Amino acid sequence: MIIYTCEDTLEDMMTCIYDAWASKLGHQNIRLMTEPIGNLELFCEYRHVPVNTQKAESVIRSIQNKISFSAYQCVYRCAMSCETNKLDVIYRFLLLGFTYGAGVMDMLQHPAVMSIFEINRKVTNESHLFREFTRFISMKGNVLTAHIEPKSDILTMLAPHFQDRMPSENWMIIDDNRRTAVVHPKDTDYYLTSLSQEEFHRLSNLEDTADPYVALWKNFFQTIGIKERKNPTCQRNHIPLWYRKHATEFQL
Amino acid sequence: MGDLRKSLSIGEKLEILADAAKYDVACTSSGVNRKGKSGSLGNSCAAGICHSFASDGRCVSLLKILQSNECVYDCKYCLNRSSNDRIRTTFTPEEVCQLVMEFYRRNYIEGLFLSSGVVKNPTYTMELMYRTLYMLRNQYHFNGYIHVKAIPNAPGELIEQIGYLADRMSINMELPTEDSLKKLAPHKTQNGILKPMEQIQNRIAAYRLTIGKDARMERSASNRYLSGTIFESPRKNIASNIYTPSRANTQLPVSYEKTFTQSGTNPLQSSISLSQPDINSLQHQVTSTKADKYSPVPFVPAGQSTQMIIGATSENDYQLLTTTQRLYQQFDLKRVFYSAYVPLNEDSALPSLDTTPPLLREHRLYQADWLLRYYGFHADDLLSADKPNFNVFLDPKCDWALRHLELFPMEVNKADYADLLKVPGIGIKSAMRIVNSRRSGQLTFDALKKMGIVLKRAKYFITCQGKMMYSIRIQEDFITRQLIGEDYKSSWDVEHPTTYKQLSLFDDMKKGAFQ
Repeated sequence: MIIYTCEDTLEDMMTCIYDAWASKLGHQNIRLMTEPIGNLELFCEYRHVPVNTQKAESVIRSIQNKISFSAYQCVYRCAMSCETNKLDVIYRFLLLGFTYGAGVMDMLQHPAVMSIFEINRKVTNESHLFREFTRFISMKGNVLTAHIEPKSDILTMLAPHFQDRMPSENWMIIDDNRRTAVVHPKDTDYYLTSLSQEEFHRLSNLEDTADPYVALWKNFFQTIGIKERKNPTCQRNHIPLWYRKHATEFQL
Repeated sequence: MGDLRKSLSIGEKLEILADAAKYDVACTSSGVNRKGKSGSLGNSCAAGICHSFASDGRCVSLLKILQSNECVYDCKYCLNRSSNDRIRTTFTPEEVCQLVMEFYRRNYIEGLFLSSGVVKNPTYTMELMYRTLYMLRNQYHFNGYIHVKAIPNAPGELIEQIGYLADRMSINMELPTEDSLKKLAPHKTQNGILKPMEQIQNRIAAYRLTIGKDARMERSASNRYLSGTIFESPRKNIASNIYTPSRANTQLPVSYEKTFTQSGTNPLQSSISLSQPDINSLQHQVTSTKADKYSPVPFVPAGQSTQMIIGATSENDYQLLTTTQRLYQQFDLKRVFYSAYVPLNEDSALPSLDTTPPLLREHRLYQADWLLRYYGFHADDLLSADKPNFNVFLDPKCDWALRHLELFPMEVNKADYADLLKVPGIGIKSAMRIVNSRRSGQLTFDALKKMGIVLKRAKYFITCQGKMMYSIRIQEDFITRQLIGEDYKSSWDVEHPTTYKQLSLFDDMKKGAFQ
């Protein structure tokens, strides 16, 4: 068994798919994985694939032309997931996709399609939940910042929503775990950037701790629940404890 | 009436007026897609976005507040009735605008839900609300979702003007029959509620016709695969009063600006009495580009809704559900909400103060409401005069399926979409997935499970390639027993959200219960 490995970015993954495909070793004899590799297996050869923009672009182009744009979206979301086997799932899906074309998206009973759909669903759901539960904090200089710690890398799915919603505001959303941020200066397009340790600390010092609307919101949130209908289980089903980490109303 | 204090802080006002508004059910922000635009704040998403969930598990999507909790009416069930001794207060339009803008920027809310007690009279109240919305849209450039309550008996012109600023309007039915309305809400009449509802419906239809859509609201896209849903039954009532835009009486405003300059007499100008900058001065700040000057201004694009109280009077589920169906058919409502009665006041006409809210009944009604809107059921399929209430143990669809066992088991690989929807446990998403995927190959129970189709209930009613999942007898008693066993806990949980549960060795003991 040959195992192709690459770093955990879209370009790297697409290059890896290109090289694995071109190796002609037989699809059942290879596997694809993203780094870091946890446990090394016996009787396997690990081959690291370095990034190559041209190869990545050609894979993306073929997915869009030979399968469909929605298939590419599905692959993209899957690539942003935190699942360890996602790259192999994408590869198996593409094998089928290049044979059947656009129709592959409906072949839900096939194991390869099933698993990519499951991951896709998880990522979509998570990005939707963060659309709901992301909270901005007012900062000095009329800037809004939000901190999130999502499992999947959903920043690029979140940003267009807020770009449309608050086009004339300065805001940024920071992924605390990955140290990446989407920055949106007023009336311009947003961009993706990574933050250094130092920038990270400077940002936390700029928070406006005397923001009156935080207290108003917490108070409103406490008031709006009906005591006679109190139902913590239902509340937990809708907003699991895990998502409350940065939600203003759940902070003490 | 309680004392009228003007010196409350905005925090205190928010607490009082949110507390008074919380019994309103509708907190949805759905029904309209609107792109954001440069210079203003907000957009809108047709699926709706919840931003948090309160301690009762209900979603917090909109900033749900009253403009004022002063009220001249004395509806028996209401917290704000005039005979209750409470602190009364009123938001100024600026206060509401600021709260909405600042909350929205921080992604706390999806928009505003504005209701109000009746201050002085319906006209005065409605004016105050209009001023708030006008300011929010035109001075603060808020482009997010607005749901506003129409006050019964408010003048038609005001309702119309407010409709051009809001996304959704609603008028509470409160109680499904005239008799109980007379008993519990002596100042309201069914006519006073239905008249504005009809007016809004006609205006919506007129707007939809001018932009080239069907006069009736869109329903779930999957309804086109169904035949005989409640929405396509004969439109006797609609046809007679449908509004067709004839040249003679069209006053369709082309934009905010044009409305006011054209109509000349702004219904508000004469009667503004608060110390706010009046509409005239606001008018100059309205910015409209050439493009939207001549496109019609949307009128309540997300449609209207209503709500009914469950359990305060003696109506049965059948009456409630047929009323619901009639409201959908005759008034083209987008949603009907139910609110389990929470005892707030002591009154001989009301249930006693220690009644618990009928949460399970409310839950069953919502289940049935979904069956009407998405599954092609009619009220008469689910209930009848002989069997006027829902089964406590089974959800309405299971209950229906058990009475129609002749249709089952159904072959998943062959049954059409409309039939699949009748299977308990299969919803519109699952049915769609089945229909799409079986084109490329046979389905098995394993495949169904992996596709995300829940077989807990469905397994009693379906076959895959001619076989059932287990050897199950298609026998009413047997299946009923099985289903009740499985659903018993969840039904109990709905009715008793915080009461007793079975002790668990692992969850309850590890926290050191015996220390």
